Amino acid sequence: MKANLASMTMVIHLHRTPGDDTPSTYNLPSPEEAGIGASDWSGVSVSSALQYLQRAVDPALAFSLSCRRGLCNVCAMRIDGVVTTACTTPMRDGILIEPARSKLLLRDTVIELSLVRRARMDAVTPLAGERDA
Amino acid sequence: MDPWDVIVIGSGAAGLVAAWHARAAGANVLVVNKSLVGRSGATITSGGGVSVSGRTAIELGFDANPDDTDEIFFADTIRSGSFLSDQRLVAAMVAGVGDELRRLITDGAKVSATKHAPGHSSGRGVRIPGPSMQRVVTTAALHAGVRFREDFQSTDLLTRDGAVIGVAGLDRRTGVVEALHGRAIVIATGGATSNWSLRTAPEELSGDGHAMALAAGADLIEMEMLQFLPCCLVAPDMWRGLQFPWILGPQSGVRAWLLNRYGERFMARWDPERMELATRDVVAAASAAEVFEGRGSPNGGVYLSWAHLPRDIVDNFPTWSRSFGADWRWEGFDMTPLVERIRAGHAIEVAPAAHFSLGGIRVDVDGSTGVPNLYACGEATGGVHGGNRLSGNAGAQVLVQGKAAGRSAAALALGGSQEPVNLVAHEQWRAVQARIKAPFERQDGIAPFDMKRRLGQLVDGALGAVRDGAGLAKALDEVRTISHDDISRLACRNRDAGWNRDWSDALECMSALPVIESALLSALARPESLGAHRRHDQKEQTATTTLEHGLISRQAGSHALLHRVEPVEFPFLAPA
Repeated sequence: MKANLASMTMVIHLHRTPGDDTPSTYNLPSPEEAGIGASDWSGVSVSSALQYLQRAVDPALAFSLSCRRGLCNVCAMRIDGVVTTACTTPMRDGILIEPARSKLLLRDTVIELSLVRRARMDAVTPLAGERDA
Repeated sequence: MDPWDVIVIGSGAAGLVAAWHARAAGANVLVVNKSLVGRSGATITSGGGVSVSGRTAIELGFDANPDDTDEIFFADTIRSGSFLSDQRLVAAMVAGVGDELRRLITDGAKVSATKHAPGHSSGRGVRIPGPSMQRVVTTAALHAGVRFREDFQSTDLLTRDGAVIGVAGLDRRTGVVEALHGRAIVIATGGATSNWSLRTAPEELSGDGHAMALAAGADLIEMEMLQFLPCCLVAPDMWRGLQFPWILGPQSGVRAWLLNRYGERFMARWDPERMELATRDVVAAASAAEVFEGRGSPNGGVYLSWAHLPRDIVDNFPTWSRSFGADWRWEGFDMTPLVERIRAGHAIEVAPAAHFSLGGIRVDVDGSTGVPNLYACGEATGGVHGGNRLSGNAGAQVLVQGKAAGRSAAALALGGSQEPVNLVAHEQWRAVQARIKAPFERQDGIAPFDMKRRLGQLVDGALGAVRDGAGLAKALDEVRTISHDDISRLACRNRDAGWNRDWSDALECMSALPVIESALLSALARPESLGAHRRHDQKEQTATTTLEHGLISRQAGSHALLHRVEPVEFPFLAPA
């Protein structure tokens, strides 16, 4: 089991286009090789692992992160079947990452968690030339 | 709805209090946030103290000290800030906090009286836990009819003839670059604490508001002043920046020992009487100085040890402290593995973590920045706390300044609502669009996270709890080189416009650079130690020196940042 702490795998369900639900397996090196300050992966949160993957492996990976202490819940996702905050969940080998609710899906692990949705402006009237063609 | 009467950038307590008051005055209000309203920002992470004098607290129905007046509260604040505060801002905070607290209580905030906090001369203040405070101000703004724009990363203020007419930024969801027009703009973007890699603060506080205000012609004040919390965890990564050891130790009066790499109880060198129970600024500076002088632990901290105490002290802690659950749950974490290490006699590596921006955008008591149509409030501003901040004074600050900025912005907007709308000139809009889109459109160059990481290391090293001139000068050179050579090489590796983290990171670097340069310039220009700014190369400020504010502005027509000083005024209380 000790070897699992050095390197491990992570399975993330990616959602890039409507209806897309691709489980993708990522291999992570040791935290030291990944440039993360921890002696093994049990001292690294799922959020930091996602951050590493976006930086080093898959630049298109989407995730949300704010307080890093389990208070703001923007990083809520389904981890091994349980909805929880990724920033407070330690990594483990073979961990499975899915969106917290597929109906609220926006991209990859990001879902709609707005508290002010009914009072939200999603766009303004564009200026001439403001939007991309 | 475009143009809005008032656009508020940021949705922590300061921003939403500003939005509520602007709306109550009759303005159409849009709150813009780069993440999600009611969730992101530092308010939710705050301990929730709100300072208020004992007499005012009694008027609000709390059990408090009747001998504690607004005058004593004022004097405590000025003294703790080493007389560097803008006394008019402090006077407004002390006088105004009671009314805003009353409104929060009416709106359903769960408020409790607090015990005697350090630095305050008596039992003073109330407590509203951060998540509760955030919930109450969010609900109130929603019910008042405020509108919101989420996942919108503001990067540039739009101007016409020197006056601010709107804000531009990136819609992170869609990847569209947009302009939002408003008759008055309120910056409430919080501190710049995310520019330190070791911090208690959330991810997104890169100083966007500071950078926008500076570019529009506002002054930044006391940018070298940054409050550190001592004894935060440095490792492992998941717990980095957590204050758990401080709370299980000195903050609760538990006699844990601070040791350097030689096992010396080093506080004997810095505060032999109070030792580990010295005030948090003293403990933070002492810990940083030990590291600075080469006596630190492997991860750049010092050790906190409970090993000399019977195990019962730690085991029984949860029975008398309300800070932890019986299962050692703290905030969102299960801290059992750390407690087991402590019980087994291991010392824990700790270091001071960046906690609160004392400096920021200069404002007057009305929240005006001096730039036409531009207001600011909350932690994004500077001058209230001077060189150090008393606990609970940030809570008082955001409430009082939020109200002032919201009301001023609404009055200005409604006073001019008959005038034709100023839209951004085509040429400026083209330039702003090009600036925002540049990192996305660039094919090859520097990955934004590489620059972010480099900046974090640079700031931790040069602008920590102890600084020296050589380190500051070297960092300033490096930051200027990055601004000059590397900003124009930032390139996103991801071609999808929506939810593009590289793009957001790049824009945050672009905001952070002038803010970091401002802090370095200000720190270099204050050669003596004062308040939270500790110079290792020059010790205490001599009593004969004139106390001066340090101000940063942008030179007209160029990107150069200028530092100047102004003597501090003492309209109410002069140093003895």
